[in-house]
Amino acid sequence: MKAARAETAKQFAFYGYVMVISGLLLLPFIVTLLRSLTVTLPDGRTTLGFRPYLDIIGAFWPKVYLSLSISITTILIDTAIGIPAAYALVRYNFRGKKTLYTLLNGVWYVPGICYALSLILAYYFLYKWFLGYWGFIAAYTAGFLLLMIMTCIVAFRYLDPCYEESASCLGAGRLTTFFKVTLPLIGPGVSAGILLIFVLAFNEFITALLLNPPTRLMTAPVRVYADIRNYGVREFIAAEAVILQLISLAVVIVYLKLVGTKYLRGVILV
Amino acid sequence: MKPLALLTPAIALEVCLFLIPLVMLAVVSLTSGDSFFFTPEWTTSNYFKVFTTYSFDFQITFTLIISAAFLDLILGFPFAYIMTRKIRRFTDVFRAIMLVPLFGELYIAYGFYYLFLPGGPLSFIFSALGIPVFKALYSIQTAMIALAIYTFPFAVYNIGISLQGIDRSIEESARCLGAGSLETFFRVTLPMSLPGILGAWLVSIGWGLGAFAIPVLMGGAMVAQRMLSVEMYSIALLQLDLGMASAIGVILALVAVIIFYFSLRASRGALI
Repeated sequence: MKAARAETAKQFAFYGYVMVISGLLLLPFIVTLLRSLTVTLPDGRTTLGFRPYLDIIGAFWPKVYLSLSISITTILIDTAIGIPAAYALVRYNFRGKKTLYTLLNGVWYVPGICYALSLILAYYFLYKWFLGYWGFIAAYTAGFLLLMIMTCIVAFRYLDPCYEESASCLGAGRLTTFFKVTLPLIGPGVSAGILLIFVLAFNEFITALLLNPPTRLMTAPVRVYADIRNYGVREFIAAEAVILQLISLAVVIVYLKLVGTKYLRGVILV
Repeated sequence: MKPLALLTPAIALEVCLFLIPLVMLAVVSLTSGDSFFFTPEWTTSNYFKVFTTYSFDFQITFTLIISAAFLDLILGFPFAYIMTRKIRRFTDVFRAIMLVPLFGELYIAYGFYYLFLPGGPLSFIFSALGIPVFKALYSIQTAMIALAIYTFPFAVYNIGISLQGIDRSIEESARCLGAGSLETFFRVTLPMSLPGILGAWLVSIGWGLGAFAIPVLMGGAMVAQRMLSVEMYSIALLQLDLGMASAIGVILALVAVIIFYFSLRASRGALI
């Protein structure tokens, strides 16, 4: 009886600690949400309301649309490039595989500001045609490719090669096997890559900030940053930040409902 | 031949948009000012300046991110331990919450900025304690907490992976041989997870190096805005001294790559 009670108390403490830390992680979002719902009346009193959201709809939506379009294009290109690369890395052994893997991963380990500055220099000097919408796509595609490769590698490891072998035994060619057997089976793993790329590309800030002056294109996070610099912590900026976080959160929640955390584990979650 | 064909697009992408720009960064760092785009004046003085004029920036940067990394370990080790060992229910909810800081430091910075601002939700606590609010907002401690939240998931990931990698039968044999649960923890579990802890510490430092929005918004001009990433941005885009900014960038990238290399060696963390 006593032991059972001690066990309950322990569980209580464990859950309490985890919840406090989770609360700390969510604190910035909650604070921003509360701020975005605060309306200051002309006589100085404050109430709750959706006024800040209505104020920004016209000006902010084009930026959100641009961010969405950039991230979706990035996802499409990265999926097309990443799946074959991951397949080759898992199923074949060849010399220099480790070096190659390091090259493909390298961009992840260089601080964002260094990568952004080097890209700007390259755009100005070598790839002048990239100073525009496609410059964002190119930067994000190269920057987040490894997330797709990584999640696909995890997915391929979960996949038993016997399915592919039996398909080819039954007479399917390599391409047919890939599209009819492999791809449907690693689908959830690919979706983990899509989720991560979406979350990171949609909220990507530092590269977009450096690309903003030459391209005159402003993505939504850069707009939030510029507004904070210009106006401080006004309600409508909080509303902008909340909209972006809610879009990301909605995508994450829908993904977790459909697929769960299985394919994110070993990549980014314990 | 076959794998090469499948890998070609990925390799081409990374070479064109990662390696070549990085080489350009290194080349530009050897020119003075923005002369690279006109007639390059070759010089190595940028690198000397990094270690003389900007040595204070190095100090600030590393004080900030190393203390944030320690905070990550203190908060993150119990978190990872409980998540992997002690609780079964709702773990997926907590995992999902771990994804929130990935949305970006900009939102974390905004939340904390508002939290600590005069008239913000926390200002009454500071006035009760007698601390000037601006001093609290622009102190190295607040920037440290915000940074720690930003790098927290990466630290927990590394610690958790190493905790999961420990063979449970070793702990069980320690218990069978008469060790109490505390003794087992301090003499078996903790030493065996040390590589993961070291990896987590290094990873938090590596991610902290690239932080930008948190120091810009939360740091005062004297403290966190002297962080190397922020300094690099203002030198490149406001002073247009591309050579100097590139030199800082090269050093920052080298430091980050070395740190991540050792963190990968220490822990079995595959990605971060």
